Amino acid sequence: MTQQLELTLTDYTNKNIKDIIREFPAVADVLNSYNIGCVSCGLGTCLFKDIVQIHALSPEDEAVLMSGMARIIFPGREVAVPASQRKTRPPAGGGYSPPMKKLVDEHRLIKRWVAVIPAFIGGLDVSTESGRELIREAIDFIRSYADKYHHAKEEAILFKYFDENLEIIKIILADHENARARVREMLAALERRDKEIIAANLKAYADLLTEHIKKEDEVLYRWMDRNLTTHQVGNLFSQFQGTDEELGSATPKYEEFISKLEKKFTSKEAQNER
Amino acid sequence: MNDNSGCPGSKMQDLRKTATAVEEAPGKVKSQLQQWPIQLHLVSPVAPYFQGTDVLLTADCVGYALGSFHPDYLKGKSIAIACPKLDEGQEEYIEKIKSWLDNAKINTLTIMIMQVPCCRGLLNLAQEASRQAQRKVPIKAVVVGIQGDILSEEWL
Repeated sequence: MTQQLELTLTDYTNKNIKDIIREFPAVADVLNSYNIGCVSCGLGTCLFKDIVQIHALSPEDEAVLMSGMARIIFPGREVAVPASQRKTRPPAGGGYSPPMKKLVDEHRLIKRWVAVIPAFIGGLDVSTESGRELIREAIDFIRSYADKYHHAKEEAILFKYFDENLEIIKIILADHENARARVREMLAALERRDKEIIAANLKAYADLLTEHIKKEDEVLYRWMDRNLTTHQVGNLFSQFQGTDEELGSATPKYEEFISKLEKKFTSKEAQNER
Repeated sequence: MNDNSGCPGSKMQDLRKTATAVEEAPGKVKSQLQQWPIQLHLVSPVAPYFQGTDVLLTADCVGYALGSFHPDYLKGKSIAIACPKLDEGQEEYIEKIKSWLDNAKINTLTIMIMQVPCCRGLLNLAQEASRQAQRKVPIKAVVVGIQGDILSEEWL
């Protein structure tokens, strides 16, 4: 008897999803058909069972997905599909809770910055003081708004309501560290006036943040909302307000900065000048 | 008997068959009520049991329609009840809800209403009070069907 036949589907639900995809590539198509993007995820260390729960499929869809996986992993065999391990409530309407909506709203400004990055890279100027100052301002936006103000809310407050050893949270924290490493490299490259390295790190940052925000908006925050109690939502809202009072006064400055970049790099006028 | 067919809020409906179709397990359901009084005109919005807490403002009928009201929704919360269709002096309700937000510094406000259109008035009162208040808190709206099912539950 092969090892594959000795394992049950329940055993596979406790395995890392990337390992399952590597062993059974057709599994990727089943996941993609439910918009579960493990195939393109940089880490993909989530357990199969966590993915099923985090994506909050309906019980019917969950059963069909599990059957589809079983047919690929155990071809030609009748396999018992394990009962749903769902511990969370089903999605309640389409909206986020107020504290999660606050984080999603903050993503909007970061996404506007990410959208400017390709043109910003095209206009990188390390030879003049004004060009270097613009790069410094952009790095300050990443460090002060996207990281200190926004990511800190997640790390210092939100994630404390959950088990930080969960794979999905580890992945998000790894993204934050990756972004910080990009910033360090950009600052060092700016000292050396190394335009190529700044451009490469900006491009990597834009790719990272695009995926990161999608993961948070579409998966992480919704999963968290389903697991937070009403009382916890109130506490989070209040704690976020505390952070806003402490650090949020600079937000208008950063909104103005992103508007300035859009005008300079991506507005119709800027495009016509090129 | 007039079935008041023009108004969904008072239209006569006989639910005896569906109400008794499923036998529940025997045993008492413990009350989760942690205060008295509960009618919105009678409560003081700054009573100790409202300070910093999660508050449930529910339409009168909800407690009768929703079988699991105590364990699923009332547990851990302070409560006030009101009827947006029949109660008088509703401007006072707005002041009391404002006082919950600004003075009692409640943590969250959950509004539970029935699916009938007139019940929306309670939600509107709460939203108006929130607009007028200096302090904001998360507000959740729960709509209960006349047969006790949850039709929607969402943060506003």
